[in-house]
Amino acid sequence: MQLVRRFLPLVIGIYLLLFFGPLAGFDFFRIVGEIYNKPSLLLQQLINGLANGSIVAIVALGYTLVYGIIELVNFAHGDVFMLGAFMALTVIGATGVTETSTASEKLTAALLAGAAAIIFCGVINVIIERFAYRRLRNAPRLAPLISAIGVSFIVQNIGLFWGGLRSFFPIMGVNSAAPKAFPDLIGRVDVFKDWFGLDLPITLSTKELMVIVVAAALMVGLRLLVQYTKIGKAMRATAENRDAAKIMGIDIDRVISFTFLLGGALAGAAGLMFGLYNNTVVFTMGFTGGLRAFTSAVLGGIGNITGAMFGGILIGLLAAFSDQYFSSRWTNAWVFAILVTVMVFRPTGLMGENVGQKA
Amino acid sequence: MEKYRTAITIGLVGAAITLLFGGWSMILVGTVVGAITGLNYGQHSAKRGALDKAREVLLPALIGNIIMGLGGTLYTFVVVPLTGKSLNYDQPLKLGTGRVPLDSIAVFIIGLAAGIAIGVAVAALIAYLQGLPENVRRVAFIASLIVFLFGLPFFDQVTGLDWIAAIITIQIFILLALGLNIVVGYAGLLDLGYAAFFAIGAYTTGLLSSPQIDIYWNFWLVIWVAAAMAAFAGLVLGAPTLPLRGDYLAIVTLGFGEIIPVVFRNLISVKLVEPFTRICFVGCDPKVDVVRWCIYACQGALDLTAGEKGINPIGRPMIPFTDELLFSSRSYLPWYFLVFGLIVLSIFFIRRLRNSRIGRAWMAIREDELAASQMGIDPVKTKLLAFSMGATFSGFAGAFYGSYISAIFPSVFDFSVSVIILCMVILGGLGNMVGVIIGGILIMGTDRLFLPQIATLLKDFMRHSVLGNVSNPVLKDFLEISVDPNQMRLAIFGLVLVIMMVVRPEGLVPSEERRAELHEGEEEHGDAATEAAA
Amino acid sequence: MSMLEVQNIHTYYDNIHALKGISLNVNEGEIVTLIGANGAGKSTTLKTISGLTKPREGAVRLHGNPLHTLPAHKIVEQGIIMVPEGRRVFGVLTVSENLEMGAFARNDKQAIAQDLEKVYSLFPRLKERRNQLAGTLSGGEQQMLATGRGLMGRPRVLLLDEPSMGLAPVLVDLIFDTIQQLHKQGTTILLVEQNARMALQVADRGYVLQSGEIVLSDSAENLRANESVQKAYLGIS
Repeated sequence: MQLVRRFLPLVIGIYLLLFFGPLAGFDFFRIVGEIYNKPSLLLQQLINGLANGSIVAIVALGYTLVYGIIELVNFAHGDVFMLGAFMALTVIGATGVTETSTASEKLTAALLAGAAAIIFCGVINVIIERFAYRRLRNAPRLAPLISAIGVSFIVQNIGLFWGGLRSFFPIMGVNSAAPKAFPDLIGRVDVFKDWFGLDLPITLSTKELMVIVVAAALMVGLRLLVQYTKIGKAMRATAENRDAAKIMGIDIDRVISFTFLLGGALAGAAGLMFGLYNNTVVFTMGFTGGLRAFTSAVLGGIGNITGAMFGGILIGLLAAFSDQYFSSRWTNAWVFAILVTVMVFRPTGLMGENVGQKA
Repeated sequence: MEKYRTAITIGLVGAAITLLFGGWSMILVGTVVGAITGLNYGQHSAKRGALDKAREVLLPALIGNIIMGLGGTLYTFVVVPLTGKSLNYDQPLKLGTGRVPLDSIAVFIIGLAAGIAIGVAVAALIAYLQGLPENVRRVAFIASLIVFLFGLPFFDQVTGLDWIAAIITIQIFILLALGLNIVVGYAGLLDLGYAAFFAIGAYTTGLLSSPQIDIYWNFWLVIWVAAAMAAFAGLVLGAPTLPLRGDYLAIVTLGFGEIIPVVFRNLISVKLVEPFTRICFVGCDPKVDVVRWCIYACQGALDLTAGEKGINPIGRPMIPFTDELLFSSRSYLPWYFLVFGLIVLSIFFIRRLRNSRIGRAWMAIREDELAASQMGIDPVKTKLLAFSMGATFSGFAGAFYGSYISAIFPSVFDFSVSVIILCMVILGGLGNMVGVIIGGILIMGTDRLFLPQIATLLKDFMRHSVLGNVSNPVLKDFLEISVDPNQMRLAIFGLVLVIMMVVRPEGLVPSEERRAELHEGEEEHGDAATEAAA
Repeated sequence: MSMLEVQNIHTYYDNIHALKGISLNVNEGEIVTLIGANGAGKSTTLKTISGLTKPREGAVRLHGNPLHTLPAHKIVEQGIIMVPEGRRVFGVLTVSENLEMGAFARNDKQAIAQDLEKVYSLFPRLKERRNQLAGTLSGGEQQMLATGRGLMGRPRVLLLDEPSMGLAPVLVDLIFDTIQQLHKQGTTILLVEQNARMALQVADRGYVLQSGEIVLSDSAENLRANESVQKAYLGIS
C-alpha cells in the first residue's frame, strides 16, 4: 500500500504528461515511431546537443561559481555571455576575415576575438559586482537579486545599442534588434568522412569537435584551478565559510572579484564558441542562453562545479531532442518546466548543492 | 535659499516635462507641481493654522511654478524652432464640434499665466488643507483629487494635449502594480512572472467575447470570469513555490511567467486524445481519429489562441440604455472612467484586505515566516491567498486591456512587462499603495509619454538642425539610427532597479520601519571604520 | 607597553549593545584569559579584535598601532590570529590544505614548510590524516586542526575562542596541555573560555566579563581564590 502511495503522484504525473503532452509537442507514440524509423537522426541530434550543451555548461559554471560564493543568482550572467558573442563578432568584423580567408587568417581572427571576448567579459563582470552587488552583500537576500535583474536589462540594452552601431561596425547588419550573422570560420568538414574515411549515417563536423574540445579544456582548466591553486582554495574556503576565510588573512573582496572575473571570462569564451558554432547572435540570446545555463547549474546542484558541467550537457541534449522531436517553439517551455520541477522536487540538484554558511 | 530647495526641485522636475510638451501642459504640470509643493510644505511647516500654512507656501510655490514655466518657455522659443516647426503655428481649442482658433504663442501665454496662477492657488489650497483637522482634511483632499481626476480627460481633450491614451495605459499598469504589491509588498513573495496573470485575464476575455471560438459573452460578466481565472491561476502557479526560499521562489515564478506566454503563443491546433485508447475528446477529425466521444471542436484541431496573430476583435462593454457604441475606439473618455472606477474599487478593496486579518498575516509572513507559523498563521493558506488575490487584479486589468485594445498578442506579456511592473512597486515603496501609484505614474509616464516625446523631438531636431551640418557619413548614420531614446527603455528600467536597490531600497514613499530595517545592515559591518580618534 | 591593547570598545549587534566599554591588555608572552557566562560578550570581544565586527567606539591597538580601522584580513597580516568558536575548519579542503590556508597571508615558503612540520609534531594525529577531508574528522581532531591552522599563521597574538567547547574531558586536557606548551614556547595568548577552572589554571592573568562589562581583573591565582568567582564560575560554594 505504501508503495502505491509513494508512486501514485508520479504515475498520475506521467499520465497527465502523456495526455496533454501532445499540445506541447510531446506526442510519445509519434516520437517513438520517428526514432524507430530513423535512429541516426537521434544520434545526430545527440551530437548537436552535446556541442550546444558544452557551451551551456561553460556558462553554467559562471552561475554556479558566483552562487557558491555569495549565494546570488547573477541574472546578468547570461547577458554577459551575449556581450562576449558581440565582442567576438565585432573583432572578427574588424579584422575583415571571412569564410573565404585562409585557415591561418581565420585562426588568428578567432583567437583575437576570443582574447577580446574573454578579457572584456571578465572585466565587465568585475565592474558589475563592484557597483551593483558589493554594497548589497549584507542586505536582505532579494535586494541583490533585484539589482541583478536590473543589470541584466542594462546589459541587454547595451547589446541592443551595440547591434545598431552599423555605422562603426558594418558586420552588425542593418537592424539593431535583428539577429546577426556570425561568420562561419570553422566550416563543416565531416570528421568521420574526411579524417577517418568512415562512411557513417551520422556526421561529426569540425565545428562540433572544436566546441567539445575547447569546452572540455576549459572545464578541466577550471577544475585544476579551483582544486590546486592557492586562489582556487581560497575561493572554496570563502564559499564555505566567509568569516573563517577572513581570519586566514584572505581578502574576501578580492576573492569575490576574482570569481566574477573567472565567470565573466568563461562567459566570454562561451560567447565566441556560440557564435562560431551557431553562426548567429542576437541581443536576446543572453536571456534564453542564461536561463538554460542557470537551469543546468540548478539541475547539477548549485555551487557544484562538476554538477554544472553535467547539467549543461544534459540540458543541451534535452534542448536538441526537443527541437527535433517536440517542436522548437516549445523548447524554452520544456527547459523552464525542468527548472521548475528540479527546484520544487529536488532543489539540491542531481549531484548535491555546495553552498556554505556565512559565518 | 535652503528653505526653497524642495520647491525648486519640484519645479525642476515639472520643468523637465513642460520643456518637452510646452503650452497647455504648463497648466496640468503647474497644478501637480503646486499640489506637491503644497503637500510638502504644508506637512513640514512649523505653523499650525491652515491660513498660516497657506500663506507660507505662496512664495515657494511661486518660485517652483515659475521654474516650471521656464521649461515651457524654453519649449516654445527654443525647442520648437530647433525641431523645425515655425515659432507661431495653429493650435486651436477643441470644444465639441467647434474650434476656438488660437496660435501657439497665445497658447504659451495662456498656459504660462494660468499654469503659474493655478499652481500657486492649488499649492495654497493643499497647504491650507494640511492645517485642518484630520477627518476634514482627508475628505477635502480626496474630493479635490477626484475633481482633478474627473476634469483631466476633458482638459486633455479640449486642449488637444492628447495624453489620454498614455494615461489610460498608465492606469492599467497602476492596476497591475497594485496587484503585484499584494504579492511582493505585503506578503514579501518576489514574483517575477506577474505578466502571466495579466495574460490569463486578457486571453480569458479574448476567448469569451470574440470570434475566436465563437463565444460572445457580456463584458461585465467576462471581467469577473477573467479575474476568477487569474485567481485560480494564482493558486495553481503559487502552489509549487510554497516550500521554496526567496530567490528560488522568484526564479520559479519567472519560469511560469515564461511558460504561460509560450503556451498562449502555441495553442493554435488543440487536440486532446487519450493516449492509450486513442479516444478523441477535443479537436477531433472524424476521418482520422477514433471518435467515440468528441466533446468539442469536432471538425478538426482547435485554434484556441491564434498564436502570434492574436485574438481580435474583442467585444466591448455595453451599458444598458446607452449608445451601443459608447465604448468604442472613437472616444477615450468612457474607457478612462471605466478604468478609473476599477482602480478606485481596487484601492478600496485592497485597503480592506490590508487592514484585515489576512493582511496582518501577510505582513507576518513577510517579516519572519517561522515566527508567524508559531503564532498560528498557516503559511500555505496565507501565501496562496496572496498569489490569488494579487492575480485577481491583473485579471481585471487583463480584461479591461483586452476589451480596450480589442486585440491581444502574446508578445505583450513577456518578461520585460513583469519587470516593469516590479520596477513600479520598488520605485514607489514596497507595501505602500500611494508609493506604488506614484511609481506607476513615474515609470509608465516615462515609458509612454516622456520617452516617445523626447524621441520625436530629438529626431526632428536631428533632422532639422544637426544632420545637415554633419559631413562625416559614419557619424551621421550613427546619429540617425542609434540616438533613439525609445531604444533605451531597458537600460532605464534596469538602472531604476539597480539604483533603487543600492541607494534607496525602501522606495520613494517608504514607511518609516522599512527605511530603518533596510539601512541598519550598513552601519556595523562598516566598510570604512570612522574611528579616527579613539 | 602592552602588546595588545583594547581600549573602551563598544560593539553593537544591530541595536543590541553587546560590549559596553571593554578595556583589557595582553603583554608579550602572557596567557590572559577572559571568562564569563554564556552571552557575556566573550566571543564578541575576540570578534572585535580580529576584525570580524567593528566597534562603534573605542580602539584596539597592537604595540600602539591601531587595529580597529583595518579590515579583518589585514589584521591577520599584523599577526593577530584567531581560532574561532566551533572550530570552523574548511570541510571541503583536506587537513593539509586547511593548514596551508592558515599560512595564506605569508610568503616565506621554507618557514611555512618548517611550521607545518612543527604543527604535525605537536598534533601527530593530524599528520596521519593529512590527506583526509577536514569535514570527516572528529570534534577533537577538528579542534586540533583549527588550532594548528591558527599556528600556521605564526601569530604574534593567538586568540582562542572556546577551544574546549563540546570536547570530551580527555581531549580538553590535551587541548590545555597544548596551550601550556605554546605558552612555554613564548606565544602570546588571549584565551576565551567557559571552562573557567581550566582556563585559570593555565593563565597568568584573567578578566571576568559580565553582560558586556569587565567586572574583575586580576592575576589568575587571585581570581581562583576569589570567593565570588568561585561561586559563580568554579562551582565551589
